[in-house]
Amino acid sequence: MNLLANVFTTLRKVCGTLTGAVGLVIVLLVLGCAIFAPWVATHNPDALDVMSRFSRPTAAHWLGTDHLGRDLFSRMVHGASIAMQIAIASIAIALTLGTSLGILAAYLPARSERFVLIVFDVISSFPSLVLALAVVAVFGPSSTIVVFIVAVTLVPHFGRVARSQTLTLKSAPFLESERILGASWGRIVFHHVLPNILGPLVILASMDIPVVITIEAGLSFLGLGVRPPLASWGTLIQDGYTYISDTWVPVVVSSVALAVATLGFTLFGEALRDAVDPRIGREH
Amino acid sequence: MSQANLATTTALVRIRGLKLEASTQRGTAHILRGVDLDIGRGRILGVVGESGSGKSSLASCLLRLLPSNITHLGGQRRVRRHDLLKLDDTTIAGWRGKRIAMIFQDPMTALNPLFTVATHLVDVLHRRHPGISRQDALGRARAALVSVGIADADLRLAAYPHQLSGGMRQRVMIAMALLVEPDLLVADEPTTALDATVEAQIVDLFEGLRSKFSGSIVFISHHLGLVAQLCDDLCVMYGGTVVETGPVAEVLSKPQHPYTQALLACEIDSDAQGGRLVSIPGEVQDPVAPHMACVFAPRCAQADARCRATVPALQACGAQRTVACVRYGELG
Amino acid sequence: MQADTLRYLTSRLVTTALIVFGAMLLLFTLSSIVPGDPTAVLLGPQASPEFSKRFISEMGLDQPIHIRMWRFFSNVLRGDLGTDVVSGRSVLGMILNVIPYTLVLTFSAITLAVVTGIPLGIFAATHRGTVADNILAFVSVAFIAVPGFVVAIFLLLIFAIWLNWLPVLGTSQSGTLLDEFRRMILPTLALALGWIGFIARLVRTSMLEVMGENYIRTSRAYGLSERLITYKYALKNACIPTITILGLGIGRLLGGAVLIEIVFARPGLGRLIYGAISERNYPVVQGAVLVVVVVFVLVNLIVDLSYSAIDPRIRHNTGSAGAVG
Repeated sequence: MNLLANVFTTLRKVCGTLTGAVGLVIVLLVLGCAIFAPWVATHNPDALDVMSRFSRPTAAHWLGTDHLGRDLFSRMVHGASIAMQIAIASIAIALTLGTSLGILAAYLPARSERFVLIVFDVISSFPSLVLALAVVAVFGPSSTIVVFIVAVTLVPHFGRVARSQTLTLKSAPFLESERILGASWGRIVFHHVLPNILGPLVILASMDIPVVITIEAGLSFLGLGVRPPLASWGTLIQDGYTYISDTWVPVVVSSVALAVATLGFTLFGEALRDAVDPRIGREH
Repeated sequence: MSQANLATTTALVRIRGLKLEASTQRGTAHILRGVDLDIGRGRILGVVGESGSGKSSLASCLLRLLPSNITHLGGQRRVRRHDLLKLDDTTIAGWRGKRIAMIFQDPMTALNPLFTVATHLVDVLHRRHPGISRQDALGRARAALVSVGIADADLRLAAYPHQLSGGMRQRVMIAMALLVEPDLLVADEPTTALDATVEAQIVDLFEGLRSKFSGSIVFISHHLGLVAQLCDDLCVMYGGTVVETGPVAEVLSKPQHPYTQALLACEIDSDAQGGRLVSIPGEVQDPVAPHMACVFAPRCAQADARCRATVPALQACGAQRTVACVRYGELG
Repeated sequence: MQADTLRYLTSRLVTTALIVFGAMLLLFTLSSIVPGDPTAVLLGPQASPEFSKRFISEMGLDQPIHIRMWRFFSNVLRGDLGTDVVSGRSVLGMILNVIPYTLVLTFSAITLAVVTGIPLGIFAATHRGTVADNILAFVSVAFIAVPGFVVAIFLLLIFAIWLNWLPVLGTSQSGTLLDEFRRMILPTLALALGWIGFIARLVRTSMLEVMGENYIRTSRAYGLSERLITYKYALKNACIPTITILGLGIGRLLGGAVLIEIVFARPGLGRLIYGAISERNYPVVQGAVLVVVVVFVLVNLIVDLSYSAIDPRIRHNTGSAGAVG
């Protein structure tokens, strides 16, 4: 119950600021489209209607159609769904993996810990997009690859924070007394460490959502992300860009969708962080 | 309201009715509730009080370096004929580093870690003597360091703050203050953050200043013994008000205010055998609470109905002494 | 002091070498787990079986894995990044051919970002709470959040297509410096905008943090001019957290450069990698990615070393964090 109350007060604080409120609205909008895509969309996003390709916005097609006559609005709405699925999946994986490694690193002897840290450094030494490209070159594009790569690139991020948080916690007196009292390692980790470090990690995770959306969109824009028939915003942008001379509406529409979504999540994430503890994420 | 008895011609700073309020989450905090004080020319004034008495805020007021949540600054503060509180920000900023200098409590964070001691001192000198050559400035800085007891002055000039111990950093701060040749030197608990042995050295340094420094010094501390040793005049503060002032020897031998008496009783008497340590019961009043009566009344053994109903004014109680107690004269 | 700096330098170099080694290991692992017939990837579907067989034995692809790993590492260290099987050119040569374009673009973008972002950040910090500060804050977030290639596309639309002020795509045909310059404006701007927002906000936050520190209070107490305090003292202190976080963000800059090169059809590492991926030309991908990683790691190293130039505490005491104050 305490947790729920905390969540509510935090949300109220977030709405207190203009940027937070705007961010929250956009986030809810995107989530709404993502979850209720089949109902919000007016058409089947894959339905071809070559006769009315490149149509301007009309009553039938709210945002016009693309080069194959598919309804742009519906594709955009489903794009939200793709973006959210990939974001949540990869962040969930990265969070789990990164936190485990981070906590592990905090308890390992110095040499093993050093090894884990070097692994983190190696992964961080690849700009995430470039790592994605290297992997895609080997395995070919697919949504699973995208999720996997993005998760891997985020693991050091969560891992480092989890580790430093655990280290700080380790020296806390109440943990010391638990150890002395003979509490098992498992109990210490799950009952004490995890609940305490989860907070900042969740905030960081929410701030990473726009990053993931961006990477995925970038990859799809290059044609190296999600495969057809799935259509992420990146794919839409690429389609629109290719036919930019025929009509600029699709590229603008999908770009705006991506921009607004990333902006909204960024604003929300930052307001959330400021509401909880402005120092999160500033640790190295 | 009767004034303090210090002749107006010898007072460097006269403070009347200084009020300081700050807005906090819980409401308006009254940090200073109408302070009356005179700072004698060429004298060392000790300001004593526990945490929350407002003594550090008083120091900040003297420089008008106040945090941003201050909402109201009222009263008067006259230096010569200038009411400093009515001066605008630029003018008062002009006084800092020229006529007033301050030594802060924590020497570990008071110096910029990325700049050498020399840079700190030279910049202060440039402000005080615009147009001074770098050679001259370095020379004076070196001399200042020597005068505060720092050996190897050249070495220390080129050093960064983190290469100096706490005591040495505080000496540098004092040197910096002396370079300003100020009319008023404010030392805000300069020894609180130091070890006892280092503290003693710094106190000796201040003793030495008596002869070398011609301006007035305000020495703020919560350590009564220290103040007794160093200062000419004493000002006791409690809860944002001044409760007693006067020459230090007299106040300490014949304290007039119950709080001063209690403070003295609290000082650990090395002669007394056994017995319990004396302490003052209760807690300092919450600064957010409004000011309706004597601030000390809740903890005062001699408080009566009048104490709890009216704000005691600061009244004269002897040659150059004042006290803020309704029951002055009635108590032993 | 010297011995300390030397020790710090050596330990950083060792870590850097380890990281590059790890990256090479990762790339090699990727190349060796390519699903299916490796030659199909490397040679393309048109290769004849005899050619494939000869190729395999020549390239040593039939050797056990530790020998291949050894060959890979020794090759790289000798500067041989392999041969492009399609064209026969050395991969390193191909990379060196295009890298100037990427470097020029990235360098211009960083310069623009620093030159614009830092003053904006200082302005925001010294005018905190004003309308200008709020507008700047929002615009900064907007540029940080919106992906670089989207900004690139918008810039392209507005300036090149609708307004027709600037040339659209590719590098100069005529070869004149002015033409090159005009073609660089949009890509540089697209890359820099996100960074301007990032730097401005970072500088603002760092400055505000520093301004609240005790040592700044000392400077104020001694009446030093606000200008002196801001530009000589506070700015230097604010550099430390700024550089820390800047260093963390370099990766995004490089990633952004790749996409922007593609949007504007400019030659460079980005286009090279992209083309190679489409052709399933893995040696080129591998070589180019390795180069990117090395550059990235070197930049991080330089950033780290610049701490000790700025913060004397690091020089005199290896291992302390570059904390402010």
